[in-house]
Amino acid sequence: MKRVQFEHSAVPYLFVAPQILIISIFFLWPAAQAVYQSFLLEDAFGMSSQFVWFRNFEDVLSSSSWTRSAVFTVVFSVLVAVISITLSLFLAVRADEVIRGAKSYRTMLMWGYAIAPPVAGLLGNMMFNPLMGDLYKAFNSFGFEFNHIQNANDATFVVILIAVWKQVSVNFIFFLSGLQGIPKSVQEAATLDCKSAERRFWTITFPLLAPTTFFLLVINLTYAFFETFGIIDVSTKGSPGGATATLVYKVYVDGFIGADLGGSSAQSVLLMIMVSVLTVFQFRFIERKVHY
Amino acid sequence: MATVTLKQAEKTYPNGYKAIHGIDLAIQDGEFTVLVGPSGCGKSTLLRMIAGLESISDGEISIDDKVVNKVAPADRDIAMVFQNYALYPHMNNYDNMAYGLRNRGYSKADIDSKVREAARILQLEDHLERKPRQLSGGQRQRVAMGRAIVRQPKVFLFDEPLSNLDAKLRVDMRLEIKNLQQRLGVTSVYVTHDQVEAMTLADRLIVMNGGVAEQIGTPIDIYEKPATKFVAGFIGSPAMNFLAGKISGDCKHVTIGEGVRLDLDHDVSADQTVTVGIRPEHLSIAADGQGQINAAVRMVESLGAETLVYLDFGTDANNVTLRLQGTQQFVKGEKLSLTIPADKIHLFDVETGKRI
Ligand SMILES: Nc1ncnc2c1ncn2[C@@H]1O[C@H](COP(=O)(O)OP(=O)(O)OP(=O)(O)O)[C@@H](O)[C@H]1O
Ligand SMILES: [Mg+2]
Repeated sequence: MKRVQFEHSAVPYLFVAPQILIISIFFLWPAAQAVYQSFLLEDAFGMSSQFVWFRNFEDVLSSSSWTRSAVFTVVFSVLVAVISITLSLFLAVRADEVIRGAKSYRTMLMWGYAIAPPVAGLLGNMMFNPLMGDLYKAFNSFGFEFNHIQNANDATFVVILIAVWKQVSVNFIFFLSGLQGIPKSVQEAATLDCKSAERRFWTITFPLLAPTTFFLLVINLTYAFFETFGIIDVSTKGSPGGATATLVYKVYVDGFIGADLGGSSAQSVLLMIMVSVLTVFQFRFIERKVHY
Repeated sequence: MATVTLKQAEKTYPNGYKAIHGIDLAIQDGEFTVLVGPSGCGKSTLLRMIAGLESISDGEISIDDKVVNKVAPADRDIAMVFQNYALYPHMNNYDNMAYGLRNRGYSKADIDSKVREAARILQLEDHLERKPRQLSGGQRQRVAMGRAIVRQPKVFLFDEPLSNLDAKLRVDMRLEIKNLQQRLGVTSVYVTHDQVEAMTLADRLIVMNGGVAEQIGTPIDIYEKPATKFVAGFIGSPAMNFLAGKISGDCKHVTIGEGVRLDLDHDVSADQTVTVGIRPEHLSIAADGQGQINAAVRMVESLGAETLVYLDFGTDANNVTLRLQGTQQFVKGEKLSLTIPADKIHLFDVETGKRI
């Protein structure tokens, strides 16, 4: 095959320049700084610093609070992704039966998407307020001794609930359009070939939605990793005792509140590495399986 | 194998639109029935009612004397071939054909032999491992056919299965479908709006219009004795010529244009106004210039094997089409004298459109 050869000229570079500039200023430069800082030990006032090689990383990896946060992040992310995907798939399948073709409906169902994470956090906060929160009262009136301020499991439940609630609408929309993208005649052919609706779902509908599901898995894990920052900051603030602090939230707490810039930079570098590995894994091993 | 019976079958869609207005039909065992009609006349709706993809609003549909109104599509023992093939895109062609059998609990060995047999008949043996998207349109069509025949159903249903193929392939597949159906002897219902497909495939043809069956009969019957003006105009290409006429006082003649009297081969009640129909292929040029009507050439289309001449008769422009064998030359405006055989004249009631 012959490759198209473009004349060398400055114009294409000019076109991509703004984007490159934005990426450099807001991503590459801070990232480079974080890497640099992760090798420094700085005093609390930022007056002096010292190059310490990997000592920050050793400290981070051996600290129990970081390990705890890492475990929490993994559990939290997997639960948020799995629950919100499963729930929204269920809702989308039910909705698809009713609203095939009704587009206005679909747009209205999408509004939840417009809610910013901190707002979702705030709403959750109100519902779980010990003085006036309806959900708080409801749980306690059922006989659970629900107290997310002191109980780590209850607090985890609260952040997962808010994070899932916020994300379900996005997933729902993608699943719904995925479902509506399956040709009607394919589904009809399946009703002639297979009597059980459940079997049809697992053998036809679900495999045909696999690319959507994969895409949502990536989106949801990213969301649970990074975007839930706002939810956590507004609702639990990582309490009790860091039990609901994701790695991202911990970077913020240690760096900006604890003023441990070196340690927090080391944490963010570790986070970057983890996310890169996860991304490569997703695309190398899962994506290949889901496309038909 | 099976018979299919419809008794006053009706379909009203949820939006209130009545697509099928009471159709009675008895399809014999092994018969190839073709539904033909203009777009929107309810052909697909009727087929889908037999398949169970649309509910039956009123009346009854039975397969082999068993009323299937409430039977799930998968339990009706029918197989359907869709216009856009409707293959499962994530399965290879083998699995596409095997899917229905697996769900019906056939053994692995059984499935394998059935699928391989179907693949052999349809010359798909080399493509079984591929996904549908790796096949050409014609090959996909074969896989869809294969998916239908492996199940050995009681009834085949086809909804315009060839309309996405190019002209040459369509002819090949048409013959293939006919062969296959005769070999397997499976009762079939086939929807098309292609005249040639309808005429060549059908043991029995059903011409539909606006949700009713206008005429049911063998293709030749329908061609020779169309029951209504609609059927007469729909079946046959180019379409039948229609002219306004009036029956004479002696019941033996019809007058068209400016006082042209044509003989009739049967008596018709006197003095009524009628529509006179003559097929383009039944008109011929009178060699001696002594034909019954004279018309001026407006346009000529040469198709090689035949020539279509569009003529102006009387005061109307382009109202008569003449179909001649072979290639012939005409000059625009040239007057032709045409012969109309009495036994080829069709008469229709002006009001009801019914054959007289
Ligand atoms: N789901 C539906 N709801 C309401 N009306 C419908 C629905 N499906 C079809 N119709 C109407 O019913 C009539 C018959 O439709 P149908 O699809 O059977 O036509 P058809 O004869 O198959 O036409 P074509 O040759 O274009 O495929 C049409 O007027 C169509 O608009
Ligand atoms: Mg149709």
